Amino acid sequence: MVSDVPVINDIEFRLHQAASLPQLLSASFDAFEAIRMTARDCEDRAPELFAAFMTAADAAVDGREALTIAPSLPLAGDAGPVDAAVTGADPGQAADLLAALAAALRDRLTGAANLAVLPGDRAACQDAAAAAGRVCQLMARGEP
Amino acid sequence: MSPVFGEFLGAAGEHIAAAASFRGDLPYAAQCQAVRQLDRLVATLACYMGDLPLPDPFDPSGGPQAGARTRAAPARLALDRAARSLRPGAGGADTDDGHPVVGHLAAAANYLAAGRDLLHTHFTDSSTGLQTPTSWWAPVIISGPVTAALLSELASHTHGLASWIVQLTAKRRTSPGAPTAALMALRDAEPWLRQAAAAMQTAQRQRYPSADRKLLAAIPASIPPPWPALGADEPAAVLCERIPVTAERLRHAALAFAAGARWSPAATSLSWRRDALASAITSHASELVLRTLAERADQLGMQPLFGARLRTAACHMVRVWQSWRAVADQWDIVTTGAVRGAGLTPVAAEIGDLALRAGRLAYRNPHWTPACSHASLSRDPADLAYAPGDIITVLATVHHAADAIGRIAASDRDSVTAAAAENRLYVPVRLLSDKYDIPRPYTPAPRPHTEALLAAYHTAAKAASRVTAFLDDLAVAADAPSSVLAAARQASTATRPSPGRQDNQQAPAQPPIVTPVPGWTEHTLHNLQIRDPALLLRAAVIDEAAHELVTEAVAKIQSRDVVANQTSRSAQVAAAQQDVRCIPRAAQPMKSQVSPAIPGFGSATVVKRTGKRTDHSYSSTRR
Repeated sequence: MVSDVPVINDIEFRLHQAASLPQLLSASFDAFEAIRMTARDCEDRAPELFAAFMTAADAAVDGREALTIAPSLPLAGDAGPVDAAVTGADPGQAADLLAALAAALRDRLTGAANLAVLPGDRAACQDAAAAAGRVCQLMARGEP
Repeated sequence: MSPVFGEFLGAAGEHIAAAASFRGDLPYAAQCQAVRQLDRLVATLACYMGDLPLPDPFDPSGGPQAGARTRAAPARLALDRAARSLRPGAGGADTDDGHPVVGHLAAAANYLAAGRDLLHTHFTDSSTGLQTPTSWWAPVIISGPVTAALLSELASHTHGLASWIVQLTAKRRTSPGAPTAALMALRDAEPWLRQAAAAMQTAQRQRYPSADRKLLAAIPASIPPPWPALGADEPAAVLCERIPVTAERLRHAALAFAAGARWSPAATSLSWRRDALASAITSHASELVLRTLAERADQLGMQPLFGARLRTAACHMVRVWQSWRAVADQWDIVTTGAVRGAGLTPVAAEIGDLALRAGRLAYRNPHWTPACSHASLSRDPADLAYAPGDIITVLATVHHAADAIGRIAASDRDSVTAAAAENRLYVPVRLLSDKYDIPRPYTPAPRPHTEALLAAYHTAAKAASRVTAFLDDLAVAADAPSSVLAAARQASTATRPSPGRQDNQQAPAQPPIVTPVPGWTEHTLHNLQIRDPALLLRAAVIDEAAHELVTEAVAKIQSRDVVANQTSRSAQVAAAQQDVRCIPRAAQPMKSQVSPAIPGFGSATVVKRTGKRTDHSYSSTRR
């Protein structure tokens, strides 16, 4: 059972609605946090997916770290600290949700990197997009 | 894997035995060449003795001491006298007729010298001239059981050489004609070699009763083995070969990086996160492997106790991966800051290989990766270990991985503790509550975060240490190939530094040739026509100790002079030195130089004599 799908949906909605680079960076930062927390929450649920969720959480930290030093990232969060993304979820379904969110992140950040004016923003978006790509690859349940 | 000491020591022994077993006649040219090679061998043996922390017979504490006091070691003095006896016979024809005895002696000298060089790869000299261990094996090399084993082996080789001389010269006695200079030199050297062998055996029996030959033979060169490329399809047998190699490389990398970790740009949270992640995955997979092994042990009808111990090891392993996961959790928040291009530490760059291989050993999918798409059931027990011997091999593999992770845990704990002490830990401001109004992306990590991170590392290191200790016992009980790890750990734990010396420092080795000429006591015995090597050796030891004592006393008085600036003392020093000069001595000790390639541990093959006799002083400066 997935109990916090709305949180994921909210973050995805913010990602899609972001109209400026600061808004996108802020939403992406929160998205990575949501991925990290969800992945950590799922680590113990299925032994065969332990490595997948641990590695996804680590990749999410990579992405968040990359965005933290983006010059255009607002210093204060738009929506405040993320509390939870998906809790008590079936690991398989959680993986699917995280894969979808990471794919959206990757696409949006890749686009933003191409449009960013400041080199710092461009590099941050590129690194974060790469991290999102890794999460997507880790969480996808079909053949990668 | 890297070459090990046993390969060189064993080969040297075989060549000495081959030389000793030669029953034919030794032509004159071959005799001279044999004496030369024997001279090299004896010099190499003396170098070994100079390296060893041998006890000083005059030290009231009686403990194994390294440094200046080792000069009095009887074995070294006896080897020195043997070398002195050989030297006159080492001249003559400089032709190499390719005689097998000469070839065997030369090969033995080369192997022994190479073996010594291998041991020296574990040490380096610091700016203060003290030898510093540079590998995990260094404390093992200077440990009692390994010193005992080395003494025993060297004694055996020395005894073998003496026996060869007896056999050679006895044969010659029955032949017509006068003995050659080379044979006379050999005859003179033989009793000294016997004395040296006896002294080595005595030192071993008295000071180091328990010898660990297996551990001595297993000492590898301190060189990381070549990187084993990740194969697309590595069966369990290949994984069991490559995981120990990867573990060995990681052990090297952890120690090599630790020395300069504080200044390295790669010492960042990114590297430490990677270490924690891979350690957690490896330990998680290891738990699975141990449970599968236990199941297989039951299937094969092995001792129930063995299966139970494998399950207990798996339970210990659970605590390891849980503690590493806790470390990773802490790094979710704490960071050293994002620095582009800082790179990874050597451990972080390669530890992913260990996790990947451990996962492939644990799971059925031969192409396993952490990705969900590669998720797989655990291996079938019979596929993991078909026969009882395979269980031991896989256990050894897990043991190697756990050992490497344990060392990385300790290393990272120290590095992170240092980073915390230097205020290099931060948290992203956006992750803090709204009450923090800080106009920067990062702020120094609040104390509770830092303390939680360090506590997590301590727990991880402790859990890793516990599982390693358990696997040590299990490996020894099962006689697994990795039992050498257990023996090495036990030996290095038992190694105690000498008083007044730092843990990681050893006094420099002494020159191999100690007193090329007799001192006063030995000289007196010579005048009394005493030829008994045992008595002469005791005299040499007494002379050496007297020399040490006088030198030390003079140095102490001179030191006081400098501090107190008392000019009157100078006169006393001069008088003391004058008194020392009054002790008759045949000659001034020759200065010896040792190869600077490994300072303090110079190669036996490059000992050069640069000094010559100048006066009769005991207080002359020697290295």
